[in-house]
Amino acid sequence: MSWFTFTWQNFLFSFLGLAFEGLPFVLVGSLISGGIAVFVPSRLITRLLPKNRVLATLVNGLLGVIFPVCECGIVPIIRRLISKGLPVSCGITFMLASPIVNPIVAFSTFVAFRGQAPWLIMGTRLSLGYLVAVIVGLLLQKVNPETILRERTISIPARRRLTFSVSPLLDAGDGTVTSFSQKLVTAIRMACDDFIDTAIYFMIGAAIAATFNTAVNQEVIQPLATNITLSTFSMMTISVILTLCSTSDAFIAATFVSFPMVARIAFMVFGPMFDLKLFFLYSVLFKKRFVVYLGIGLFIVIGLICSCLLPFFYASQGF
Amino acid sequence: MRARASDFVNGVTLVGVGVVLLVFFFTGRIDQYLHPQFRPWILVAGVIFCIMGVVYAGAKSTVQCCTGGECVHHANNPFRSLLTFFVLFIPLVAGTVFSKDSFDHNAVLNRGFVNDITRLPGAPSVSKTTSDQAIIPPEMLGVDIDETASQPLPQDDPNRPVSSPQSADANPTPASDDGSAQYLPKSADGNVALDVTDLLYAESEESLRKMFTGKMIEVIGQYLLGADTKHFKLVRMFIVCCAADARPLVLPVEVSTPINASDMGWVKVTGTPAFSPNGERMHVVLKATKVEPADPPADAMLY
Repeated sequence: MSWFTFTWQNFLFSFLGLAFEGLPFVLVGSLISGGIAVFVPSRLITRLLPKNRVLATLVNGLLGVIFPVCECGIVPIIRRLISKGLPVSCGITFMLASPIVNPIVAFSTFVAFRGQAPWLIMGTRLSLGYLVAVIVGLLLQKVNPETILRERTISIPARRRLTFSVSPLLDAGDGTVTSFSQKLVTAIRMACDDFIDTAIYFMIGAAIAATFNTAVNQEVIQPLATNITLSTFSMMTISVILTLCSTSDAFIAATFVSFPMVARIAFMVFGPMFDLKLFFLYSVLFKKRFVVYLGIGLFIVIGLICSCLLPFFYASQGF
Repeated sequence: MRARASDFVNGVTLVGVGVVLLVFFFTGRIDQYLHPQFRPWILVAGVIFCIMGVVYAGAKSTVQCCTGGECVHHANNPFRSLLTFFVLFIPLVAGTVFSKDSFDHNAVLNRGFVNDITRLPGAPSVSKTTSDQAIIPPEMLGVDIDETASQPLPQDDPNRPVSSPQSADANPTPASDDGSAQYLPKSADGNVALDVTDLLYAESEESLRKMFTGKMIEVIGQYLLGADTKHFKLVRMFIVCCAADARPLVLPVEVSTPINASDMGWVKVTGTPAFSPNGERMHVVLKATKVEPADPPADAMLY
């Protein structure tokens, strides 16, 4: 059988499945973003954020626990929070951590791996996701946000965020919107704008993923399961292409029984941080070059941790 | 004027997306695409999209939405709005019109069959509680009622080896008198009506094998051509969230005479299951006595 067999019937079925699953979550993210823009004052964000940069990064990595958003909905929220004065490094930490470090994902991972040391798998996934997100955030603190953020995606007042800064910025409609109904309409308009900006990239990612999911013969990837390093990096590559939602990817990972557990952990940590649709979604906010570097960096760091360090940890646990 | 035109196109796009979602929800087509727990979101999202589209097209865009008085959104660019219309709305409409709401055999073969069903989330349907179906008492499924002596099922404990062919009863005697038969769901013809998953779970669960062996069983699935004219595969797609993650579950079927069925068409197979050892696992083959076309079930996907 050929390794590539494309049919419109399969493509449309898979594409619509991804769209129907993901669009409501992009919508939720956009609505939250619109709500933050209008109803959450910048001063509140900057007041709640610790002034210490390391502590601020550590706290942002845990925000998903009280603010569970999957990766489809996180980009508009991050864009809005950065506009409100959240430092870019903290925003990226939140963006990478929240699709993994949240109670919904913890529960789904536990359920998916029931009978396969679920506490250990769930704990490893959340810990590793948090660790990697914090590392990336700390590394980016010294980087000039203007070299990361896409031009005209977020307006940065002159030299306001060239260093770690938590200065409050202007709020949407400051001085022009007063009544609740006006604020509500404004929030809806902003949510629409955010949705339109984000969904267009989501659809492109979904189309590419649907093509791979249905047209490529999955047998071609099976030989990759034989070696820990090879299987780890292979599973991460698969997660990029499958573009699964973090709330459900554990169920898929659990079915790759021929792959080592560390490879499946890598799949569940790397996938929610970077995949095909996220490449396009991140491009809404960040420069393409940064998105590519971020993807490569995450790929290498998570791959090395999972293939070199994690096997020793699992062995010490008798797993 | 450009801003108004842009607002109108964006509003139409959002309402259009909402209408597509609502059409899929109210026609029931969404059942083929999503796991039940995701379906209500389609209704909610469809309504919200429609409201948002109307508000967007109708409200005046006088407020600044970004900091520093500089709007960074692309939505007020008419060309961008048209691009959004073609990327976001047109593919959904094309899918609504042209999608057959199912995979063909190429997708099934490309994805590869699920070899060990116990690794999938869920449980055999015969042990689920439904309103119109009797519940099989746990002891009938092989669970010891003495809690201190209870053991987890194989799918719950990977360290526990699956019953070896030597220890498993490869040719158990028909279990019609064990009391379990009365709990099995029956079809109108009086046969035991099962899902493909039930027979596949039985490969690793001795109590189910005993329960099914010797019974005349009826299973509905999609026909996939086998290696020769006397063998074919009965396919059901298993989803976790949506059609994009569907995995094919296949039940091998053996027939005495070649049958004429359309590729991936729905068929009802009646026959008796035969379990035989293959390596360290038991494998099931349904020896069919009758194969006939069938209507697709209400939920074409298993989950």
